[in-house]
Amino acid sequence: MKKPLIAAIGLAAFAQLAVPQLAHAETLRTPHWVEFSGKESLDPISPTRFYSANQLIYSRLVRQGSKGEPVSDLASEWQANPAADEWTFTLRDGVSFHNGKALSADDVIYSFTRLLDPERDAPARAALSVIEDVSVNEAGQIVFRLSQSHADLPILLMDYRAKIVPVGFDDDTSLQGIGTGPFKLVEFDPQGTTTFEAFADYWEGAPKLDGMDLIGIPDDNARTQALLAGQIDWSGWNGVNAQQLRLFSSNPAYHYDSIATGDWRGMVFRADDEVFQDVRVRRALRLVADREEMVNLLFGKGGATITCDNPVWNGDQYKLAQQCPQDLDTARSLLSDAGYADGLEIDVYTSGVDNYFRPMTELYQRQAAEAGITVNVHNVPAADYWNTAWMKKPAFTTAWGQRPTDQVLNEIFQSEANWNESAYKNPEFDALLAKARATLDDEARTELYHQAQALLTETGATLIPFHLNNNRVMKREVHIPAVEHFAIRWHQVDKQGES
Amino acid sequence: MNASSSTTARGPRLALASLPGQHTLALLWANRQGRLGLVLIGLHLLLAVAGRWLAPHDISAGDSLASLLPPSAEHWLGTDQLGRDVLSRTLAGGREAIYTSLPAAVLAVVWGSACGMLLAIIGGRVENIAMRLVDALLSIPWLLFLLLVIGVMGPGPLVFILTLGIFYGVAVVRVMVTACREVLCLDYIQAARLRGDSLMRLLWREIKPNVLDTILVELAMRWSWALLAFSSLSFLGFGVSPPTPDWGLMVADGRGFMSFAPWAVLPPIVALSSLIIAINLVADTLAKTLGIDRAGRPE
Repeated sequence: MKKPLIAAIGLAAFAQLAVPQLAHAETLRTPHWVEFSGKESLDPISPTRFYSANQLIYSRLVRQGSKGEPVSDLASEWQANPAADEWTFTLRDGVSFHNGKALSADDVIYSFTRLLDPERDAPARAALSVIEDVSVNEAGQIVFRLSQSHADLPILLMDYRAKIVPVGFDDDTSLQGIGTGPFKLVEFDPQGTTTFEAFADYWEGAPKLDGMDLIGIPDDNARTQALLAGQIDWSGWNGVNAQQLRLFSSNPAYHYDSIATGDWRGMVFRADDEVFQDVRVRRALRLVADREEMVNLLFGKGGATITCDNPVWNGDQYKLAQQCPQDLDTARSLLSDAGYADGLEIDVYTSGVDNYFRPMTELYQRQAAEAGITVNVHNVPAADYWNTAWMKKPAFTTAWGQRPTDQVLNEIFQSEANWNESAYKNPEFDALLAKARATLDDEARTELYHQAQALLTETGATLIPFHLNNNRVMKREVHIPAVEHFAIRWHQVDKQGES
Repeated sequence: MNASSSTTARGPRLALASLPGQHTLALLWANRQGRLGLVLIGLHLLLAVAGRWLAPHDISAGDSLASLLPPSAEHWLGTDQLGRDVLSRTLAGGREAIYTSLPAAVLAVVWGSACGMLLAIIGGRVENIAMRLVDALLSIPWLLFLLLVIGVMGPGPLVFILTLGIFYGVAVVRVMVTACREVLCLDYIQAARLRGDSLMRLLWREIKPNVLDTILVELAMRWSWALLAFSSLSFLGFGVSPPTPDWGLMVADGRGFMSFAPWAVLPPIVALSSLIIAINLVADTLAKTLGIDRAGRPE
């Protein structure tokens, strides 16, 4: 009689222990890096937007496909007029917000009107400034009128900040955090844990997860340790660096994927500087880089994608395939022609503000020395770097996130761009970009973008040795589609998948 | 009457304090703790001068296939992220820190001692006002102050030496005023004043020999603080520029790999710690041997 009783008590005790664990089994615990020190905003167009949360809450009209191409999200289809200066988008039926309200054209117009409002501090406006007016036509479709022809408006609308919020978002604080995305906000605590529950009426189907916890862990190493200790279920959007990946790669409790992204690091030699204004010097400075060695040492073999001073990433449909091995002889010859036969001495400013800046610069210093170039590396404190060195000194390191071709070329390299950090001014390049925007024919547009990229590689003022990979580490039971983070379908993520 | 023939309530202290430098060294050497400190400091000074030549590998050369290799027969302390030999960089990594912190400590002690002795002699309202100013300066967080000055002036060896020297001299002023007060009330000082000795003579011949022990201990203490400050600044990105190896910078660069490649970060930590501990061992031994108890208890 005693044995069954003990067994029953044991079973009850086990059940007590097991039940709480099961209750949380379907909640994905995700770290975020508390980018704005607790000032994270649920407004997707705010300068302090809570990126990780907003990705789950809100949707866009158009989103990235698995290869970076524009595919439908809240807009089911779209078309342009022959001049490509007016675009019509058809809204998807049956979409509702988290508060039960049906999505309407008014919400879309409201969202874009506030995004384009010049009185508002919305960084996304620069990327979408080509939009002159948004309205609804008689058929209930959304009509974008542009200030100039733009054949890639759907790509611009993939901007991660171009989210659709309900009418009245600004006036009614209860609407902050109400979107049409796969997860509903439950509790907002950016420095602690922000919690979400699955939105059962999500238009693409109910999420496989019960909910998500976004846990604020600012320190890179602390996030890695939290993953090792089982306090979080995956490495989060930022992933882990190539060296940290070693901690997990042979551990059967985890699996990982390494996804190519359009994020890049580089070194700018401003074209308005007395030395760097000579295109031969700029080209020589880029030819001395051994990009393969940089990738091998900074990320491990194959841990990043070599690029030839071209900011367009491999996943972009307009990417021009190029080769750029280190070429010391040509570099020496160019320098000699430019009057630096006895060598060149330059100052490069960098910082520990980014994990890759300093080692990249030190490696470059070593490589450039082989061609007689002396690189004096100036280490700037992290807190001051963006204000005192970036775009202020003749040569400095830089970092950019993934952008589609049109955006990255126009925002960073077009002559009049606000963020033209390299002071690169080339009318031929500008003309190619303008022409590409106005060309609706896919093949012809691709050719124009290829010419622009080739020209930039030949004459540009920025060394871009690689695009980063995103190394995402997950616990064995977590399954996240192996696509870059903008293309993840969060309703498909689950915590019981076999990897 | 001069210092060598004077006596104080602490008895033999003055006789010892007035001995030439080699006797002070002899006293340190006679103490096990002091001996250890001296050996370690000597070793570090030797490495600061000759570390680059003693290093088994080129301190800047790296191997693209040797990133973060663990310790081996070829690389005794392993390699860093850029494939450079950690032992070689550690051996040479104290040079900038020592070359900067030691002159800064000397500067701090020279001006702080002079100022402190002068204020103690002048006394009265001037001393009171000056000491309140010293208190105010000492209440400023040291790192914040250093970052502010270096942020405005820009990093550079001279700026580091001047900033660290001037800042740490403030604390020396306070210590020296207190030390001199004990001396000033003694009979032989009164006698020297009545004799009509000039201020400089009074300072140099009568007071200085009797506070030399305090000065030596302050020198050691300020050196260890300046060393720590320089390494902290280097860690934060204000220090030396690559590829010059520096312990603070090595720690900053290697800390991201601490979990799986501790060999990239532990050697510079051990090197820096050993030097700071050595300086403190010497300071403690000096204080005990020469009769100073920094906790304030008479010996």
